[in-house]
Amino acid sequence: MARFPRPETLVGILVSLIVCALTLPPLAAVITSGAGAGFAPFREPGVVFNTLLFGFGTTIAAVIAGGGLALALAPGVPGRALLEGLVVMPLYLTPLLTAMGWNWLASPHSGLVNLLLHAASGNSLTINAVTPMGTIGVAALATAPLPFLLISDALRGIDASLTEAARVHGATPRMVLHGIVLPLLAPAGLASAVLVFVQAIGLFSVPAVLGMPEGFNVATTEIYQLLESYPPRFADATAWGILLLALAAALTFAQSALLRRRSFATITGKAFRVPRHLPSLPRLRAGFGWLYVALATVLPLLALLWAASMAFITANPKLMRLSGEHFAYVLFGYPKTWLAAGNSALLGALSATFVVLLGFGVSWVVLRTRQAGRSLLDQLSMMPLSMPAMVFALGLLWVYVRLPLPIYGTLGILLIAYVTHYLPFGVRATSAALRQLHPELEEAARVSGASWLRSMRRITLPLVQPTVFSAWALLFIMAMQEVSASILLYTSHSIVLSVAVFDLWENGNPSDVAALGFVQLAVSFVIAGLVLRARQRRALA
Amino acid sequence: MTATRPIAARRGPVTIEALTVAHGMVLAVRAISISARGGEVLTLLGPSGCGKTTTLRAIAGLEEPQEGRITIDGRTVFDAAGGINLPPERRGLSMIFQSYAIWPHMTVFENVAFGLRARGIRRSDLSSVARQSLDLVGLAALADRPATRLSGGQQQRVALARSIAGNPGVILLDEPLSNLDAQLRLAMRTEFRELQRNLGLTAIYVTHDQEEALVLSDCVAVMRDGVIEQAGTAAGIHDRPATRFVAEFVGVRNILPCDAAEESGRTVARLPGGALLACSGPAPDGPACVCFRPINVRLATQPGPGAFPATLTAANYLGDLVQYHLHAGELTIWARGLPRSDLAEGAAVFWSVPPEACFLVAA
Ligand SMILES: Nc1ncnc2c1ncn2[C@@H]1O[C@H](COP(=O)(O)OP(=O)(O)O)[C@@H](O)[C@H]1O
Ligand SMILES: [Mg+2]
Repeated sequence: MARFPRPETLVGILVSLIVCALTLPPLAAVITSGAGAGFAPFREPGVVFNTLLFGFGTTIAAVIAGGGLALALAPGVPGRALLEGLVVMPLYLTPLLTAMGWNWLASPHSGLVNLLLHAASGNSLTINAVTPMGTIGVAALATAPLPFLLISDALRGIDASLTEAARVHGATPRMVLHGIVLPLLAPAGLASAVLVFVQAIGLFSVPAVLGMPEGFNVATTEIYQLLESYPPRFADATAWGILLLALAAALTFAQSALLRRRSFATITGKAFRVPRHLPSLPRLRAGFGWLYVALATVLPLLALLWAASMAFITANPKLMRLSGEHFAYVLFGYPKTWLAAGNSALLGALSATFVVLLGFGVSWVVLRTRQAGRSLLDQLSMMPLSMPAMVFALGLLWVYVRLPLPIYGTLGILLIAYVTHYLPFGVRATSAALRQLHPELEEAARVSGASWLRSMRRITLPLVQPTVFSAWALLFIMAMQEVSASILLYTSHSIVLSVAVFDLWENGNPSDVAALGFVQLAVSFVIAGLVLRARQRRALA
Repeated sequence: MTATRPIAARRGPVTIEALTVAHGMVLAVRAISISARGGEVLTLLGPSGCGKTTTLRAIAGLEEPQEGRITIDGRTVFDAAGGINLPPERRGLSMIFQSYAIWPHMTVFENVAFGLRARGIRRSDLSSVARQSLDLVGLAALADRPATRLSGGQQQRVALARSIAGNPGVILLDEPLSNLDAQLRLAMRTEFRELQRNLGLTAIYVTHDQEEALVLSDCVAVMRDGVIEQAGTAAGIHDRPATRFVAEFVGVRNILPCDAAEESGRTVARLPGGALLACSGPAPDGPACVCFRPINVRLATQPGPGAFPATLTAANYLGDLVQYHLHAGELTIWARGLPRSDLAEGAAVFWSVPPEACFLVAA
């Protein structure tokens, strides 16, 4: 007797097909097409060196900063809740704006900080962000929230009894930190290091703003320049893509090899009673948190606001003049603003929606079914984490320029890139929500007579809805600010705000750039905020 | 047209034949066969990890077995050979989960009404049927309370009301009382038994608590490592465990290696040290153990026929009773009885067990 497949089976198959279709072709395209005439990176050992320097430097600095923040913001710090919220802000600010902010703050001649320093010290002191060190520093500021989140999670997972046991057996707080807490945090530290490294080597905007002008080129800026040249040198660009992929794969592999030798089965404690892991010093710890917030968010944004609202950039108090002319220009004069804003908002909304839906599908199949190959599906949906957005965009170009599908040059190709790039985020967020939901709640619905669809609609979805909505809002904000993939995939019709900002940065007036950057931030946060508000209203009604 | 509600439960029997369920590489249930008669309680009893939950979930359709056949009320709901596998909602049963699985975004009433709606009950009947079953478990007053504001015992009752509301023929229960405190557990167990009898439900009940199993069930199946070691009436399991494992599990504390022999039509167990115990029932092939419950050990301070000397090494209070610990050579014997002033620690005592309380199992 032939059985008609159950809806859950169909969903499993559908989700798997979509994930495969999204992730595999671009990956295969990059891998198979990069082997052109000579491997480009061999001809540019300096850029390879810079890429490694930038990758490792950013990783070390970001893990130290993020891990330090996680430890510093353990319970007992004044203003902890506020600080925890502010510290992760850089996740929702494009590094492009942070980098531009630091450029205005600390470029050697016209940077605000330097102008002040020069005035105070008589030209003997200069902080220069437009250097390899500055590039690494700003990239680390932008990526530090990742290790912060992973390591604080691990910290919260350490059962209080583990540290308390050490204390009652005679260990000092310092010994507890070195002997118990840090070793237990090692896996999270390592995982976040790999994550930051992959992000860093795939980061385009920071090296483009702070590195390129002084000749500090890395793989991403190289790819950009190769594609900007005439004629575009595709094969060489993909060769750099392969280099980035290989680096990411090597590190991911090293991580799993390292972790296999050690197992930390104890990290499953209860999060409710967090002990004092640390020697106290609450003020110092809070100070560290505020310093990070100032450097990563407040100062660059203030610089941006300052640059946008001055008639022209100067440190001479006599010449400073407040003016709305730049905002007026980007809003009413600059021809690309409204097109780009519309495109960005549409793309942001569509990609956030698809990512949340697909992510939910993947998590549900992985967590709730016994479908064959579901762990493969899980890994495949996480793969974009170890594939820099720019490399992925290269693969997409390679695939869709050749295919007769009318996708290249439209918002469609950007949508595909965004959905794939942010899929891991959607899977993580929805699987966290599903994990909190006892599977027996859905099973109880089934044995009560509800079909799969009804149990999904009436039980599962209402219960995960709050998480799904906040994930949607965050995804919308992130997608609104994507640079690395967009810069390769846009055309004049499908331009998005972040690309328009970068375009102005390269060819326009710095104050106009700042104003447009502000418009971009405003649009993304206002729309996300409105959606969340509307949802709360409906929940209350 | 929506179906109207049947007046009386269908009292369907449930039959499991050669059921095998695997979790990946782990064979959780191995070719078990058992059935629950209509209107009766079948209990699956066994230690944690023996496959009780897996069996129950397979019956519910929440787990897909590798082999076997499941029939509910004469209807085959799963048959590996025939390729039949009805989804849970079409098996006409209900289930109480160990976690209760009360839907937190609904009120008590909505929790009960959900299944009725899903089963397509008439809108006009919905409210009265849901309230009726809330009434049955004594929760009518809490109908409009959000489900998140309930105590453990109340959640348990909601789960019960929810599972009987749709008037299923069969109800499955997975350790429903294990999250309650001892007093509530006793009360709920009586209440459930009454409800089950009144409604004529067929129930399959899972527990690791032997007392609960014996009190509640018409039929008990003791499971071990995915197989059924012994199935029978509650009294049969209590009085005559068939294997050493079952004996241990149902609280037969004295299990002593012995030489078993047939002597003039009777079975006799010879213990190390020379004590001879007459037993009822046959002797197993091969090495044997003689088994008896502590409560059946008689203690005396004077020698008597069939009584053997021992030293009383400890006497501990155990609720109303006292647990005595005896030593005779290398033998250790547990006895239990009312407190006695003549039995002090260190005293020489004489113990005996009536033949009808002694039985043999394979060692
Ligand atoms: N989802 C699962 N995946 C893998 N193994 C499982 C799963 N559920 C149960 N098992 C294993 O199957 C066996 C039986 O489990 P279960 O039926 O839950 O036992 P019980 O309910 O009697 O405690 C155990 O060995 C358990 O470890
Ligand atoms: Mg169980």
